[in-house]
Amino acid sequence: MSNAASGALDHHFDPTTSTGIPNKKLLMWMFLASDCMFFGCLISTHLIYRLHPPPGTPSAKSVFSIELTSFSIFILLMSSLMMALAVNSIQKGNLKTLRSSLLTTILFGSIFLGCQVFEFNNFVFEKHLTITNSILGTTFFTLTGTHGCHVAVGVFWLILMYVRSFQPKDTTAARGWFLRNVLHVVALLATVLLGMMLVLKLVRALEAAPSFGAGMGLWLRDYWIALIGIALTGSLLRFFARPAGAVAFDEHNAIDVEMMGLYWHFVDIVWIVIFTAVYLLEYI
Amino acid sequence: MSEPTPVLTSPGHAAEESKFQLFVQVAMILAVITGIEIITVYLPFARPVLFTILVGFSAVKFLLVIFIFMHLRWDRPLCTIIFFIGLVLGGGTMWALLTLFGAEASKPLSAMAEAARTVLAG
Repeated sequence: MSNAASGALDHHFDPTTSTGIPNKKLLMWMFLASDCMFFGCLISTHLIYRLHPPPGTPSAKSVFSIELTSFSIFILLMSSLMMALAVNSIQKGNLKTLRSSLLTTILFGSIFLGCQVFEFNNFVFEKHLTITNSILGTTFFTLTGTHGCHVAVGVFWLILMYVRSFQPKDTTAARGWFLRNVLHVVALLATVLLGMMLVLKLVRALEAAPSFGAGMGLWLRDYWIALIGIALTGSLLRFFARPAGAVAFDEHNAIDVEMMGLYWHFVDIVWIVIFTAVYLLEYI
Repeated sequence: MSEPTPVLTSPGHAAEESKFQLFVQVAMILAVITGIEIITVYLPFARPVLFTILVGFSAVKFLLVIFIFMHLRWDRPLCTIIFFIGLVLGGGTMWALLTLFGAEASKPLSAMAEAARTVLAG
């Protein structure tokens, strides 16, 4: 049975455009094509200076941590899977699965960003590699920092899309829905940032303390206010996500989620290239 | 909150179910390839061999993500053409820059000075 006969939407063909491709999707593919050139230049700049390092350039192998980078690429690949499942679920009109997939993608994206913050901290304060003290630092931080900014934008977009899925169908009857959604975004953003900070501080405390118990004790003593904060923002999220009538978000919005998904997968493929070109090739 | 009723009928549903399984399978393949890549760098092979293997694995991962996760396999060919225009231009720029700066006369001056010092010291 064809999609038209079954009454289902065809998510790969738009009869209203001359190309058969939804305009939003066409625009996103063009943006991604231009971003390929942007990252191409950043990666080649890094590689040129790695192939012809000026005197005094530190050894990248002694600075990089292959274990941490492997973990972060695994996390980003899994976030891509969750994003693909989110697009798949909204195309079927399954709102519940869409929301859980989006939340998982946000979680994985935040873990990736947390790993990058940890890595940058480690490079600057322990390996003494900064953006200004060597050409390796300049090209490395510019490249991976730009990628990190793309991930951060992606996480923010995911948060907006998650909250957008709660917009009521009848906005005139549901008074204050806009303010409620703004607060929802703020609560989710605060939860993500507090969560990242708490995990990073826990790792630092465990590294510095002589035993696991001592590290946990120090962490709880120093960050109990942040823990109360994350419990509060978590409760707010549960409050905002409670069932409150029909919503204006269904499979007709699948194109918006798909566009966001394209961006997210692009960020993933850029990291696939960076992982090989910047990290792995240093080890051979 | 009322959940929208899925409108796809059984043949569509079967297709969507298989897509779900395909996504999970591709994610597992990507994870396995990443694991193999990490092991590969420690293998005692010649540098050109390792380089070829790593670039090959990276290309496979790249293509799996764009064709399966980014739906290029199911979308109109124009999407693939547009993306590959950007990719070829980006890749071509990389190749051109690496070739230009690889030429003896174009090496960064400080790198040349270091090379000259090494030769003189040797």
